[in-house]
This record gives sequence, C-alpha cells and structure tokens, in this order.
Amino acid sequence: MMDDSAHSPRPSDETVRLDFTLNGEPRTIEVAPNAVLLDVLREQLGLGGTKKGCDHGQCGACTVHVDGLAMNSCLRLAIMCQGQQVTTIEGLAKDGQLHPVQQSFLECDAYQCGYCTPGQMMSATALLADDRIGADDASVKEAMSGNICRCGAYKNILEAIQQARVQLGHDATTPRKEDVA
Amino acid sequence: MNDLTRPRVIGQRTPRIDGEFKLTGRAGYTGELHAEGMLYGYPVPATIAHGKLEALELDEAQAMPGVVDIFHHGNFDTLHRSPNSMGHGDQVSEVRLPFEDETIHYHGQYVALVVAKTFEQARAAAYRVVARYRQASGAVPSLLGRDDEGLPIESEGSSRGDPEAAFSGAPVKIDRTYHIAAESHLQMEMHATLAEWHDGGRRLVVHESTQGVVYQRNAMARIFDLAQEDLEVISHYIGSGFGNKLFMWPHAVATAVAARRLQRPVKVVLPRQQDMMSGGNRPASRQHIRLGAGRDGRLTSVIHDSITETSLVDRYIDSCGSATPSFYACDNLAVSQRILPVNHGTPCPMRAPGEVSGIFALETAMDELAVELKMDPVELRLRNYAESDPESGLPWSSKQLDKCLQSAAERFGWDKRNPEVGSMRDGDEIIGYGMASCTWFAGRQPCQARVELRADGSLFVGCGTQDIGTGTYTIVAQTAAELTGMPLADIEVKLGESGLPSGPLSGGSMATASTLPAVAAAVRDALDALKEVATGNGGAFEGLSADDLEVGQGGLSHGEHRVSFAEVLKTNKLASVNGQGSTAPGAEQNAYSFRSFGAHFVEVRFDPGISRVRVARVVSSMDIGRAINPPAARNQVEGGIIMGIGMGLFEQLEYDPRDARLINSNVADYILPTHADAPEIDVELLDYPDFEFNEFGARGVGEIGLTGVAPAISNALYHATGKRHRDLPITIEALLASS
Repeated sequence: MMDDSAHSPRPSDETVRLDFTLNGEPRTIEVAPNAVLLDVLREQLGLGGTKKGCDHGQCGACTVHVDGLAMNSCLRLAIMCQGQQVTTIEGLAKDGQLHPVQQSFLECDAYQCGYCTPGQMMSATALLADDRIGADDASVKEAMSGNICRCGAYKNILEAIQQARVQLGHDATTPRKEDVA
Repeated sequence: MNDLTRPRVIGQRTPRIDGEFKLTGRAGYTGELHAEGMLYGYPVPATIAHGKLEALELDEAQAMPGVVDIFHHGNFDTLHRSPNSMGHGDQVSEVRLPFEDETIHYHGQYVALVVAKTFEQARAAAYRVVARYRQASGAVPSLLGRDDEGLPIESEGSSRGDPEAAFSGAPVKIDRTYHIAAESHLQMEMHATLAEWHDGGRRLVVHESTQGVVYQRNAMARIFDLAQEDLEVISHYIGSGFGNKLFMWPHAVATAVAARRLQRPVKVVLPRQQDMMSGGNRPASRQHIRLGAGRDGRLTSVIHDSITETSLVDRYIDSCGSATPSFYACDNLAVSQRILPVNHGTPCPMRAPGEVSGIFALETAMDELAVELKMDPVELRLRNYAESDPESGLPWSSKQLDKCLQSAAERFGWDKRNPEVGSMRDGDEIIGYGMASCTWFAGRQPCQARVELRADGSLFVGCGTQDIGTGTYTIVAQTAAELTGMPLADIEVKLGESGLPSGPLSGGSMATASTLPAVAAAVRDALDALKEVATGNGGAFEGLSADDLEVGQGGLSHGEHRVSFAEVLKTNKLASVNGQGSTAPGAEQNAYSFRSFGAHFVEVRFDPGISRVRVARVVSSMDIGRAINPPAARNQVEGGIIMGIGMGLFEQLEYDPRDARLINSNVADYILPTHADAPEIDVELLDYPDFEFNEFGARGVGEIGLTGVAPAISNALYHATGKRHRDLPITIEALLASS
C-alpha cells in the first residue's frame, strides 16, 4: 500500500478535451484528467524525445518549454496546458537544420548515453534567452543544476552552451526571446 | 591502409554517428517504445524489508478502470529455474524469480504486477493493491562493523611472502579501517522492458535497456525453455547503465510472463523509487588496511581485508582487494574478502566494481603513510613503483604510471604545495591539494562480428554488443572506415540485438578491446571475398591475383586502375559480399599483465565558517593505451571524475537501522553531483598504444577515471583541515565535526 494516494477519489476512465499548440502545430486531443504532460507526450503522442528520469521534478530529463519557459513536464498535468504553446526536443530543429544548441552539443560531445540530453538542451535554450541569467560559467552552471547528467558530461555541456551562445550571436545582456523555440 | 600503427580515422576526433538521433529525440530508448495493442505494467513493491507476505487484497485494484490482470505469487506461471553463470553467458543480477514465494527479503521486492490499458490506470490500480505483511525481527540493515562478520570468500584472496611477520616488524605502520556507503547507480533511464510474444507464444521479442543483450537472451531462453533462435533481445539505445544493466533483473521475467498470459505486448518501466530499491546498488564496504614500511618509504607489508554486503537472495562479491596485489612492489601481501547478507535489494557491479572501493582505502592509507614519513605522496608512490606485475610476476604490456604522475603533477602545480596542513589560504577558504594513483584491469572477451559490403556503396557492420553511451557505434564505424577508406557516412552500424553475431557485455571497460578486433577481422574477410570476386571470372580485375590489389578510398586498385567496391560488385551482378570475424584473447594473456594506470590531482577549497567543501580543480593523466575516439574517451574520464566527486562527498543509500527500509530512494534525497558541483577538469590521455593487447592498442577507458578520485579528495581535505576522513561520503556532518 502506498500512502500518498490512499485517500484520493477513485479515478474514472473519462477523458477531457485539450486544445494546445505542440511544436508549432495546433492540436486537439482527449486526455485522462490525471495524465501528466510527460506521459501524454511519450505514450499518447509518440514523442519519446522528452525523457522520464524520476517523475518527481528532481532530474530535469523531462524539460520542455511551455509558453517559452523551461518546465518539468512530469510536474504538469496535461490539462494544465489548455491554450498553451508546448515545445519539445522534437520541435527544436527547424527545417531539418539542427538548432545551434543541438549543433554545439554534437560538436562538443556534450553527452554520452544521451538520455538526459534533450532536457539539458531545452534548459540550455531557455537560459540562453533569459536575461536574468548571467553569461559567465558559474551562472550557467547554477542555472543548469536542475538537469542531472549521470554520465557526468557537465564540462562538455557547459562548453556547448557557451559555444551556442556565440553562435546565437548574443550574450546575457542582449537576450532575444525568439531564440526560445 | 591497413597499418593500424599509423591510422587515419582511428584516434581522430569523430562526432558520434548516433549523435543526431540522440540530439533530436529520435533515438528510441526502451521506455518510449510502443507495440500494437500494448498494455502497461506497474509493479507493486514490498513495504517491509524482512518478513512474510501474508495476504494480498486485490478486489479494489482489480475493479479499477482499465485493469486487465494482476500477477502475484498466487497466480504466477511456474517457470524453469534461473541460470546464473558467467561461463555460460547467462548470468542474471538476481537469481530469485519474481513472486517465487511469499518471503520478503528486501524493501521494494515485487509482490505484484498490475497490468492495465494505460500507464495512468496501471499506476492508479497499483496504489490500490493492499498487501498485508508479517514483519520479522532481526532485519540486517547494513554492515555491522566487525572484522569477522559474514562469510569468507577464499577465491578472492591473495597472498605472498609473510605479511603478518613483516607488518609486526615494520619500523613504520599504518593500521586503519575505511568505510564506504552503499551507492545507487542512478543511471538516467530506469530499467525498462517491452515484451512481445509471436507465433502463438512460441517466439519472444524483448526490448530491454541492457548492457548485455546476449546474456539476457541466454538467461530468458533457459527460464522460458525456448531455443535461443526463438528469442530476441533488443537494446538499440541505453540511457546508460553503470553495471546494473549488465545482467537481467526479475522485472523482465515478470513482464514476459504477463505478455504471454495476456497475449498482448506489455511494457514495464520501473518507477525511480523501485529502480533504486530493487534494480541494483554498489554495496557498502568496510576495509581494514595495514601497511608496513621502512623509513625510506618502501613498503614491506600490505594487508587488505574487506567485507562487503550481499543480499539474502543472492551472493554478490564486490571484490575490493582485486587491484591491491598488483598496485605496489611489495614482497609481503595478503588480501581477503568476506560478504555479509543484508536485507537490501541485491547489489551488483557498479562502475569499477570493487577496485574503486579498494583503491579509496589503499590510496588514503598511502597518504597517511606519506604524512607519517613526512614524505611527498608522489615520491612515496614512485618509491614503491611496480616495474612488473608483483601478483603474476609477468611484465606489464605497457605501463606509464610514472609519466602520468609527473605530467599531472606538473600541470596541476604540485610543486607549489606547502605540505603543512592548513597552510594554503585564499580569503575565507583553506586550500587543500591531494593526489592518488588509479588503475583498472584491461580485459578482453570473445567477440564475433559480421560485415556486408553492398553494391549500393554502403558497408554494414553488425555485432551483438551495445553502445551504452561510451561511443561504441562510432568506434565500430571508425574501424570500418579505417580499413576500407570509406567515408563514415556510408557505414551502417547495427548493435544491440541478440540475433547479431555474439558480442560482449558493455562492461568492465572491455567492449572496445573485445569488439574492434572482431570488426576488423570481419571487414578483412569481406575485403578478401571482394578481391576474389574482382579477380575471378568476369571480375573488374580478372586475371590478377588478390595480392596484387590495394584497398583504399572505398575501392580496389592495381596501379592506376581503381574500381570502387560498389562497381566491383555490380560488374558481377552481386548485391553484396559478406565477411565474418571471430576473435578472442590469446597467448598474449600468458606473456603480459595488462592494466591501465593514471593519476588524479585535486584541489579542494574548504570554508570553515560554513563547513563547506568544494572540489575546485581536478588534473588527471591517464594511460589507457590508444584512444580510438579521443573526445569520447576523455568524456569517459571526465564523467568518472564527476562520479568520483559524488562517491567522495555526496552519495549514500540510507537504510533505516531499525528495519532495513531504504529511506532515500529518490533523486533529491540521494544527493548527486550537479552542474554546479563540476570543477575545472583537465584530463590528459597519454598516447602509448598497447599493441601487445590488440592491434588497435586500446585498453578501454570506462571505469579508470572513477578510481582514485575519492581518495584524492579525502587526501586534499586532510591537507586543508588536518582531519583524516576514512568514511565515504564525507558529509557536511563529518566536516562540521572536523572544523
């Protein structure tokens, strides 16, 4: 017996309608009211690029953008995204061209197993467009610390983010919101 | 072209060929795979660690929406006993089959598997399964802290000379006990299985996140009494595994049984909590080290006695002393190992298993000896340098530890170290410099590979090994490119399928040295077949001998006459030629001792005001033979350093001393290194190819970077604070007690 849901009401098998924008495309789907955004992406919509590493908002592997902000999709019910813009790793590359963050991750070997990598890149893309976060290494490391990489590729990830910053042609003092996919 | 002593592609910086799949989200890891009509399984874990399952109340769960069935001891299929043999290639992580009986041996042991139409439904119903237990007294929560507890394991012992007499007569003695907490692998992708039966239950396809598709295939074939040909285990992308995905766990068996009974594919992804409880751990260790030395620092005796935990359902030996006999030149030595069964999920190998723990104890003890002797710790290590392997008496194939020590010390600025404790300061911070040597054995397994040279201009390589993130896909492609002169883009590599020619486990840092020779043999075999075609009837080089032909740039040539592989095949209306490779370690194993060595130099900064320690800088040199893909190899060492910081300062599975329940089975309470904890890292890979080991000169690089990090940190902390930390992790509580 698990205590945390012992007194919750018995769920039904009813679904709710969700209208939202996914990777730039308007979508209407039926979701279970208790379905988490992460599971809807992976199991219902077949977008496996967003990863499940803990299901508790502790590892960052499930990071997506919701209305331009990096969020843990495991901490968000799908129905909370009504009318919102959701971008996943599948929406980061445009017209078959890797996003500069993806390209620099490739060049810097900023990954090993690749499982935390989509979440790392979604956080990186968001922070590069966030003027609250300094461009120095210490600020980037602090801001990225919600994304665990157990392979320990932190050094190369940092290098990739700073390389992408140069390629995106701006630094923390001149953020461009449109760089958030 | 075929001269691997002067390669063009091997040893070059090569972006990973699977990189774009991983970076765009298209790489399919097991947990995100789907099959037609697939159901979802969610295991129910025991909430006690020791006792009996008395009853399961399933009515409410069974009536929940979407629930298809619930599997448990009362209704589970009778299976054949699990095999468990390294020699037969069918070792499993936990030999007890799921739901085998009603005895509960550890917190998290599966008591039921709920299967439903959706993930949400399976999870909701699993929460409504009510299990009634009778908790037994006497749960063993951890090592008890005595030298004589547990069972002695004679096979892990080693001795030479008269170590006890030499120790008692030694002018300088170190006699200390070291303790390391149990750790979680915490690989980012949890264990996951998708099982599908075909042909009316006669054929089984299992997608598993595993470091060993062949081992799992062999084990499942025995358990389900299937011919190996009727069982396929597939693992194309693995969200890493640091040893806990080497061998099969019970969830895979439970999933396959559910799929067979329900005649539908079933997918189970372990929740993180269950993955940490029942999916493997590095067992806690207690090590007693005695060093005897002369005043000149030369070791006269090394005695290393270890105890590690195992579970009540299996017998896992984490051999802490396995590197010790080969580490230093010393005539008198004894190593012993014991194991103590505790009420935990079964431990298993975790990156550099055994040796990383043993090296923490040994290299901390060496630092204690250096302090006792007032000798520089680097000098102490050089004075005890083993010029040949003291364990086997064999010469090293190649050992450059002295160069590692010298190079890393120089880049680190070791000469600026004031040996006086607490003497180096920067503002509020006390700076500590520490170092340790490191090592990992070089092993090689038998391996087979298959190559097709195709008329469409491509080359296919298949091998039943895996890429767990180390870069195996890429180095296999580099090997084929090296030997054919073809561009990497034309090379297709398939790994991670048990139906491919049998390949090695992705473990023990052995995959590179095992796989590449077989791939090379298969490429050469295919090239020979192609030359035969080219020189035969109607061939592009008809009338010439195969020896007349040169291979290069994806073609065959004779003088100025050059024909691409594809044209050679098309000329003879052939779709492809095939090559097979089968390689294994040989006579060299009796002629040399093979080990990688290295050195870590660490700067810690300790702020006594808030009792905070940070690893600021790590400078390392590694002698791993040749790196096939240097950035990927360096990445392995850097990752090992990060994991070593976790081992040194953060990581511990905490079991309740009252009832052996695991307290911190989540990613927040089990503390891991984050970006903010990552220091400045400078890793140098020395380039001394080990051609005695294999024609590529590669010894493997997956684990060595982790070894030696934790003792270098603890030694640096001693230099900063004067307090010797012999227990890992060195928590803030331990630091508070020292400041």
